[in-house]
Amino acid sequence: MKTLRNLTLLALPFLLAACGGSKPAGAGASNEEKKLNLYCWAEYIPQGVIDDFTKETGIQVSVENYASNEELIGKLLAGGGKYDLIQPSEYAVEVLIKDNQLLPLNQEALTNLGNLAPEFRSMPFDPGNKFSVPFMAGFVGIVVNTDKIKTPIKNFSDVFVPAHKNRIVILDDSREIVSWALAEAGLGINEVTPENLAKIRPLLQKWLPLVKVYDSDSPKTALKNGDVDIGVVWSGEAALLYNDDKKFQFVLPTSGAHLFVDNMAIPKTAQHPNNAHLFINYLLRPEVGKKVADDFPYYSPNSAARSLLTPDQLANPASYPPAQEVSRMQTFKDIGEQAAAVDALVTEIKAGGK
Amino acid sequence: MGGAAFSDATASHPASATAGWKAWLLLAPLLVWLGVFVALPTGLLILTSFSKRDYLGRVVYDFTLENYLNCFDSTWLIIFGNSILYAFLATVICVVVGYPAAYTIGRASPRVRHLLLTLVMIPFWTSFLIRTYAWISILSEQGLANSLLLASRIFTDPLPMMYTPFSIVLGLVYNYLPFMILPIYTSVEKLDNSLVEAAYDLGAGPMRAFSRVIIPLTKPGIAAGALLVFVPAIAMYAITTLMGGGSNPTIGEVIQNQFTKARNQPFGAALGVLLMLLFLVSFLVLGRKKHAAHAS
Repeated sequence: MKTLRNLTLLALPFLLAACGGSKPAGAGASNEEKKLNLYCWAEYIPQGVIDDFTKETGIQVSVENYASNEELIGKLLAGGGKYDLIQPSEYAVEVLIKDNQLLPLNQEALTNLGNLAPEFRSMPFDPGNKFSVPFMAGFVGIVVNTDKIKTPIKNFSDVFVPAHKNRIVILDDSREIVSWALAEAGLGINEVTPENLAKIRPLLQKWLPLVKVYDSDSPKTALKNGDVDIGVVWSGEAALLYNDDKKFQFVLPTSGAHLFVDNMAIPKTAQHPNNAHLFINYLLRPEVGKKVADDFPYYSPNSAARSLLTPDQLANPASYPPAQEVSRMQTFKDIGEQAAAVDALVTEIKAGGK
Repeated sequence: MGGAAFSDATASHPASATAGWKAWLLLAPLLVWLGVFVALPTGLLILTSFSKRDYLGRVVYDFTLENYLNCFDSTWLIIFGNSILYAFLATVICVVVGYPAAYTIGRASPRVRHLLLTLVMIPFWTSFLIRTYAWISILSEQGLANSLLLASRIFTDPLPMMYTPFSIVLGLVYNYLPFMILPIYTSVEKLDNSLVEAAYDLGAGPMRAFSRVIIPLTKPGIAAGALLVFVPAIAMYAITTLMGGGSNPTIGEVIQNQFTKARNQPFGAALGVLLMLLFLVSFLVLGRKKHAAHAS
């Protein structure tokens, strides 16, 4: 046993030298093959943006999609270096940094980093963008069909009232649902503990039986089709509804809610890290950021891109709510193993609450 | 599943007993396929179901029974029960709707039969997800069905059809109906007409001939169809999520959540193993019925 360990220790410097030698640390000069394996959210990076990048650099981009941060984490850890660039949300960045899964970014290669709004250069999960660069942000808020609902809606407690029974759509996301109840109960949205889950259980038992549809992928569908009149949805979905018809008004809950930030990051195991840097820097260009915002009207973290938007785009209350309301929003922190307890609680009330 | 159900019928006719090396060679691709895509994943599933997990949801191979103990919480049992109920309703409706259709097709002239069979198959040309989305636009409150009902003044308010148990069962029936029609059709096609005539000659009326002769003779088809509908319908999650709106969760959705949201693969695996045991039981029960029908 001991000899084995000594042998390994002896071999270590050579191994390290071999690893170091294979990866040129240069910023711009890249002798990587012209490939980039992108693992990102479905419906987030417009195909045109990817095509333009390939046209400009000759780098072939292959795209794979996921539908939740947990799916991303699971596949990344099992994937064995398949992915060069990923798009984790704030708490997923936090946990991937903690677990030493992300490559520190080469700041010199990211010449467009200055285009980001200052608050997105110092997000709590990764101050100074050492490992991640915000791609898009958004809010979870309330969308109201004002043709059908005339009472003023200010907060979650106004949504979940008996008068709206079977007229509500909410995100099919247990962590989100629990965070609304925590906010309503005056607890921090990140204080997910067994005691707090027990405290908000009665609230969820009151709320969830009123819900008709749970949908995270396209909650706007049920609102648009008239199957429901009010919902708690992603702000981008609300912005699309508002563009469609001004009767769909967006409200940021007064108790505060979730500011989500989806970021670009490079896994440690990436085979093409230089290409990944090129792509991140490309996405940070103002005109590229504008194209993304045109297709997906979320809250752009790129202030240079924002200045290219039309007054109509900037006036959409779901995309760009007033700054003092934005400052009330909070990002998610990772909740680790509590994820299972959160899912069990919500599923239990969903199944038994009827 | 389908392959198993059908090969089972042929296996009951004993052929020559021993298989030579040529037979094994011919079987080799199937055996490799079964090994790689059935035995290996099932083994991994069982292994995972007895394991623990860490805070990132990674599987830690450390023996525990906790996942199975958690399965017997009332929440999951209720959801299991609901899923079985939806699948059972869908199967019954498929038999009731599918049997007359299959019978008509089986008894039609060869030309018409061919045409009707093609019509049954046509929906498979499009992805079932797209066809399920089509149902959403038919059933929603401003959809086709409600517009017709309102225009005809049968109802004054739109009927809530979408995102209900009704729409879940409808989605299952719609997607699985061909799997009921085709095996019954095969049985009906093989039905010896002289036996039906004999029943009439011996004084049976149409009802009696149907219930005492035709139904027993086509029972293997019904059993195979029931198996092909019931088993996948329990675990189906795409249709139930889209049509049910998630407010009536099924076991398939719960298992999917363990992998994609709850960072709890071992628990999802344990539920998956229980589901497999459930399939095994229903397979044995329906398989025995089929054999009984063969024997009579």
